Parts: sequence; C-alpha cells; structure tokens
Amino acid sequence: MPGVQIDSNDIIINLRGLRKSFWNKDGEQAVLKDVNLQIRRGETMVIIGGSGGGKSVILKHMIGLLQPDEGEVEVDGSVISTPTFFDAATIRRKMGMLFQMGALFDSMSVGENIAFALREHNPGIPEDSVDEVVARLLGLINLNPAFASKMPSELSGGMKKRVSLARTLAVEPEIVLYDEPTTGLDPITSDVINDLIIDTQSHFHVTSVVVTHDMVSAYKVADRIAMLYQGHIIFVGTPDEVKATKNPYVQQFIRGMRKLEAVPE
Amino acid sequence: MDSRTTIAIPIAIIEAIGEIAIGVFMRVRKFIVAALSSVGEMLRICFEVFVLFPKAIKTPSLIIKQAMELCVSSIPLIFVTSIFIGMISAVSAKYQFRNMVPLKYLGTSVTKLTLLELGPVLTGLVMSGRIGSSIAAQIASMKEKEEVDAYTVLGLDPLRFLAAPRILVSMVTMPVLIILGCFLAVIGAWAVSVSGLGVTSYTFLSGTRLFFSNYDIFVCLVKSVVFGLLISLLGYYHGIHSAGGAKGVGEATMKSVVSSSVMILMFDFLIAFLLLF
Repeated sequence: MPGVQIDSNDIIINLRGLRKSFWNKDGEQAVLKDVNLQIRRGETMVIIGGSGGGKSVILKHMIGLLQPDEGEVEVDGSVISTPTFFDAATIRRKMGMLFQMGALFDSMSVGENIAFALREHNPGIPEDSVDEVVARLLGLINLNPAFASKMPSELSGGMKKRVSLARTLAVEPEIVLYDEPTTGLDPITSDVINDLIIDTQSHFHVTSVVVTHDMVSAYKVADRIAMLYQGHIIFVGTPDEVKATKNPYVQQFIRGMRKLEAVPE
Repeated sequence: MDSRTTIAIPIAIIEAIGEIAIGVFMRVRKFIVAALSSVGEMLRICFEVFVLFPKAIKTPSLIIKQAMELCVSSIPLIFVTSIFIGMISAVSAKYQFRNMVPLKYLGTSVTKLTLLELGPVLTGLVMSGRIGSSIAAQIASMKEKEEVDAYTVLGLDPLRFLAAPRILVSMVTMPVLIILGCFLAVIGAWAVSVSGLGVTSYTFLSGTRLFFSNYDIFVCLVKSVVFGLLISLLGYYHGIHSAGGAKGVGEATMKSVVSSSVMILMFDFLIAFLLLF
C-alpha cells in the first residue's frame, strides 16, 4: 500500500501449526490441518480460499473466539490460544472485527452502536467527546450525521457494514479483521468498502486481515495474499506474485476454473 | 443340526443382546454426561451473573428496557390468567366442600391455595412461555447474527450485557407479577363466589383473613424469585446454545419453555418440602 512502511521482521500475528476440527452428525471434520501464517505489523493481509474452507475459522482463532485443537496463536507477543485464563479483554481491545453481516446491536441506534464500547471502556467520558467521535467516524464512513439516530433495521447491507467498521474503529484497535466485507454487496458498494479498508489502514495505521473470495477486492486492498486450501496455507505472496504463480490450485481459484488445469510454462 | 450350529446360535443371540446392552449403556452414559455438563454450565453462568449484578445496575437503561419488555408488557396476560385462576379455584373449592365443609372456609382455601401454589406455579408456567421464550428467541437470534460474538470482540462481557440484566429483572419482577396475580386471583374468586356460589361478601372476605399467615406470603415470594431465576437462566442458556438458523431459534424457544416448566414444578415441590414440611 503506497505510503505505508512495513517491516517484514515485525510480526504482529503469528499462527503456528494451527489445527481445528469440528464434530457433526457425520463425525469429525478437520477444517484447519496445519496452518502457519505470519502477518506483519501495518500490512493488509488477505486470506482467500474456497467457501467453507475455514477462512473465517482462522479469523476467529486470531481474535480468540475459537481455541485450536493444536498449535498456537500469538498476537503482539502474547499467546492467546492457551486453555488457561489469559487477559482476553486487553488483547481484544487491540483488535476489532467487521463481521460478515455487520452484527450491529439491533436494539440500539447507529450512534449508540458506535459509542457503546467507547463509553464502556472509558467510564466518565463526556458526552460531547462521544458525540464528536461518533460524528467524525460517520464522516469517515461517508454517512450523514443524521444517520446517528437511525436503527440498524433501516440500513442497507452496505451501510450496516460501514457502521460496523465505525463501531470497530471507535475503540482505536491496532488490528482489524474483516470477515468477507464485500459479500452480498453490489460492485460499486464493494469498491466503497475496499476504499474504506485502504483509508483505515493509512489513517489509523492498523494491521488488517481480510478474509474474502472476492478477487477484485483482494487485488485492490492487499499487501500480501495467502491462500487456504484443504486446511493448509499453500501460498503467500504479493498480488503480482499471486497472478504470476504456477501453483495450479491458486490459479484455479483466482481464475474461477471449475476444473484443475496445469499452468502453462 | 450338528454341534457347531447348536453352539453358534445361542452365542449369536448372546452377542446380539450384549451389543444392544452396550449400545443402550453408551447412550445413557452420553445423556448423563451431557445433562451433568449442562447443569454445571448453568451453575457457572448463574454464579458469574450474580457477581455481575452490581455492574449490570450501573447500566440502568438496559435494566429499564428489560423491565418494560419482560414485566410491564406481561401485566395484561397476568390480569386475564389470574382472574380465571381465582374463579376456577373458587368453583372447585365449592364443589369439594359440598355440604361437608362450611362455606366460611371458602375464602381461606382460595387464599391459601393461591398464595402457596396456584399463584406462583401457574403464573410461573405462563411466564415461562412469555418471558422464557422471549429471552431464548432474542439470544438465539443475536447468536445467529453474531451479535454475541460482537460483544466479545469489543471486549465486553456478553454475560454482563445480555444475561445479567434479564436475569436480574426477571428475579425482581416475578414477585411483583405473582403478588399482583394472587391479588387478582382472590378478586376473581370473590367475584364468582358472591355472584354465583351463594357466598356473601362478608363470609368470603372474613374467610380470607381466617388462618392468614405472613409466612404464606414469604413462601410465595421465595417461589417467585426462584421461578424468575429459572425462567430467565434457562432462556439465556438455551438461546446461547442454539443451533443456527430459524430452526435453531425455534428449538431454543421450545427447549426453554419445556425445561423451565419442568424445573418450576420440581423446585415448587422442593421449596414446599423445605419450607412447609
């Protein structure tokens, strides 16, 4: 990303040997088999892969919503994947997540959604300061201040995602995780979200991890792209390296080919 | 039939019986482990929520909102059900008394029965369908839309913001609703006694004061608080453990109502045994 300095030795998220299985009526299903991935501070890492492949599961491990069966998740020097008690609240205040459907609190207005965590983490904060933050964030996501009084049910899908991003940014996280941010949106609104991801990285100097199967979005926002295939990270590289790779599975995915074909020399 | 066949058949039968027995044992074991695990988790949630009550009170807007949704909106239902509970109990008591028990005890019987049993239990069962299902459906829907995860991700404890206000409001408002219900039930009993059962108003009302004990109200309040806790706790538990989709929400609602109804009856017996025996 232009203007963003990234130190390749400064690792903020480190996934080591991650394994995760889920049980259903058909038995045990291994979703992550041996995931190893390092994310650098300040970069935008995009994780691509097929539907149901475990991309969102990786995100949930990063933020501690899931614990791995084996392996480690290290965030900013702290291992967050231990079964014993850890300082989850502090780690989570460094991280934010944009959920696929926004996950706005239905019983609160847009302004209350954005201000909720801000008020809870800063008891005694003056209401003027809260209003200022809400107005500033609404401006960042290109929504009129009048939207502060609207309820989530009155918003479109794209607006919900933008408000969800504003809510995440209100607590000034260092890391923002995006779970399929453009899914279900039209191409123009998708590009608005892409621009927000880029602006968020450059203005707030956050590290971003984006899970998507939207390659247009991936190429636009990514510093590096990682591909998840059958529970393994099989490729990590820049968007240009992704386009040029001879890895047949990566080429099959990025070209949208139903059948696997050998990549010509 | 040779000797091998003669031995093989009984052995096969024994093997089949053994397999069936093992299968049954494994299913019973799995059920018991799951039940104990559920009870353990509910006790943990209950303990953590009690610890969070002082923090939950610091967000009065959430408390007031829950009180309006769970309590105030239940009053019309309480009104209708309680009036009929009183009317039914008066008619039933009159029938049972026939010419054997003087009618001056009609008011006594209705009041005691309402305060000790009918009021808390029947109102509790009605509220498990009203409040319990509402809590389960809300929490299950929030889980489906990842709102519960959103609280966690924002560094906010879902128990503090979702469970504690609902359980606190339920425990505080159930006694109010049940006492109101008991009062309305006695009024309903009085109305039907005076208008249709040949009992004078003086006879009925003096009967209500006869053998009246404050301890009856104490027992009623204890049951109310316990039932309020059971209804809201089970509603939250089944909501938070719902499977996905509309089917999951429906199942959570159904399980909440069924389990809280059964637990109300079990705890009703337990409290009666401990306090009245």
